[in-house]
Amino acid sequence: MAVEEQITEVLEELKEAILHYDTEEAKQAARDIVDRKVDPRIAINEAVLSASTVLHQRFERGECFIPHLVMAGDAMEAASEILESALPKEHITSKKTVVIGTVEADLHSVGKNIVAMFFRSGGYEVHDLGVNVKASSFISKATDTNADIIALSSLLTTTRPYMREVIEELESVGLRDKFKVIVGGGPITREWAEEIGADGYGTDAYEGIEVAGHLIGIGPS
Amino acid sequence: MLSLLDIAQRTQKGPKVEVNDWNMGLFHKMNELTKRYQLYYPKDNPIFNFDDGIADRAFQAAVDFLVEKGIYCLTTGRVIQITREEVLDLVKGMPKQYAVGEGKDVRILKQRRLEEKEELNHCPGHHAPFTEELAPLAVKTFAQIPSCDYLEGFNFPVVDGREIFGMPMELYAGKREASWLRQGVTKAGRPGLAVAYYPINTRAAVMLAPIAREFGLRPSDGILLSVLPEVKVEQDYITAAIVWEEYGGFKLNGNGSGLVGGFCGDLGGALIEALVEVLTGWIVYRDMACWGSVRAVAAYASAKEIPVMSAEVWATSVYSQALNRNTNYILFIGAGSLSGPGCETQLLEVAYKAVTIPINGANVHITRQGRARMNASISPLDAEWAFEVATAVMNNNLDRHSAGELVRKIGELLKGRAREAPYHSINEFYDMVRNKPLPAFEKAYLDVKEQISRLGLTFS
Repeated sequence: MAVEEQITEVLEELKEAILHYDTEEAKQAARDIVDRKVDPRIAINEAVLSASTVLHQRFERGECFIPHLVMAGDAMEAASEILESALPKEHITSKKTVVIGTVEADLHSVGKNIVAMFFRSGGYEVHDLGVNVKASSFISKATDTNADIIALSSLLTTTRPYMREVIEELESVGLRDKFKVIVGGGPITREWAEEIGADGYGTDAYEGIEVAGHLIGIGPS
Repeated sequence: MLSLLDIAQRTQKGPKVEVNDWNMGLFHKMNELTKRYQLYYPKDNPIFNFDDGIADRAFQAAVDFLVEKGIYCLTTGRVIQITREEVLDLVKGMPKQYAVGEGKDVRILKQRRLEEKEELNHCPGHHAPFTEELAPLAVKTFAQIPSCDYLEGFNFPVVDGREIFGMPMELYAGKREASWLRQGVTKAGRPGLAVAYYPINTRAAVMLAPIAREFGLRPSDGILLSVLPEVKVEQDYITAAIVWEEYGGFKLNGNGSGLVGGFCGDLGGALIEALVEVLTGWIVYRDMACWGSVRAVAAYASAKEIPVMSAEVWATSVYSQALNRNTNYILFIGAGSLSGPGCETQLLEVAYKAVTIPINGANVHITRQGRARMNASISPLDAEWAFEVATAVMNNNLDRHSAGELVRKIGELLKGRAREAPYHSINEFYDMVRNKPLPAFEKAYLDVKEQISRLGLTFS
């Protein structure tokens, strides 16, 4: 078998392992890739991220569910760790980090969970703070983790102002430019996002992750 | 019977579980129960369920879930544990009917039987955001619907010209919502009509603030205290439930639903989740009625086209039958849409769901369309349309076979249609002052009614 074919085969094995939500297989495939001296960056781009695209399409068609995205995210993380360990230090780019949660006084979580899982299976490091999250908690977690994005969810018209509070508190402590803030949820509109000075808005999880990628320069514009 | 105080104590004493472990644990447990009780969609793609056995097995699966897994308290991160005897004892205590409202406006919410022909209960509106200018008018027009048994409250961002932000404004807004509801139903000539408070947010204080005999919520009124998805409950809700229980008001669970594709997994898992959430609403909050169904989370999250999924319709029928055969529970099924407001596709979606309601032994609940938008909720015409279709199904003596055929035909009309949302405000398609549809919407209504008539449903 030609070398190129071998490379394609191991990359395919990694992708398949992720698509079968199999962490052990994914780790084994990543080790094979490292042993065969394949550039880990190619593996991350061609196997891990393309698996992520397939997963999101499956989810949209109802062929996989939120728990599958969780398990695929586990497999991706485990494989990526092995691949990154084989990269020279100067080539290691830190993962993009998202801090996500439902704002204060709001306990709705379904939409937020979907977006969180999309980020995770899209290769982001995700810190999900849950529901009823105070502005100060978003900011301290984002600061502690050196996050790129703060993602805010709300399902009630009356809890929307707590999104603005996060942005205002970021401004008041001089951290507004450090993070991109995106918003979403049932009553959230593009106009509301603009009114409160958010950086981005997504009507659904697909748009949310696309907008986030664009804002931090890793996705299509 | 286990009391709400017993439950409150158990939220403090049950085993600690990380929320992510709870979520993934749901997936594994639901998969296991789906296999244990063989809860699969039959290969001949039915619309309604004809197998009593699967309905009973689904109910057993829900009881097993509660006994083996428990209920998650989000506030304390602890699991409320409960025995089989306690669950079954609580189920026996469910009321079969419940009086709401007062004076000449008292209505009886009741459990219906499958394919029953008695008049349906109807909750026709709100659970939607309105501005303070429009809210009282919206209440009045919906309260004028003759079949309305109770009305749900609404949400609003501004009260007395001030943004609702922070506890003092939230409490005040809650009180104003209750007074607008009372004023609205009084102007409609039904001062005793029951209203169900839609909490401004989920803090206990905000849920309790509007309790007031004179201008607020009466003991004949109610509140929405909903179980959170993934079988989660919360202490602020339990606090409100304890106070409301003593006050005498009725409580409703707005989430007796299962999400296909969520943490409970596939159709079988979502079916069990829906039943567990109905039982949980009764056990933890004493919700004596609920509205719910089995639906697909992916479709609702992102669908550009109207999802026409017979598997979900079937699962909802199993769910209804499971409750009907094993409990006294008073069930409503939502006839809401993804499209709308004010358009043909929305009216077709409403009909698609409304046909199933009397067949499933449920009552009619219709509030807003899928995505809430300010002042752009359904109109009284949509609400009456849902009731009209459901009543016609009974008057035409449809059963599961014939209604299933009708659902399939309406589904054909919906297939491939995009989510339609032509209007930004209810005023663009409905005259709220004169309480009648504007010509374009009235024509859409008559056209859809004609289409449904051509499919064989006769309207009186």
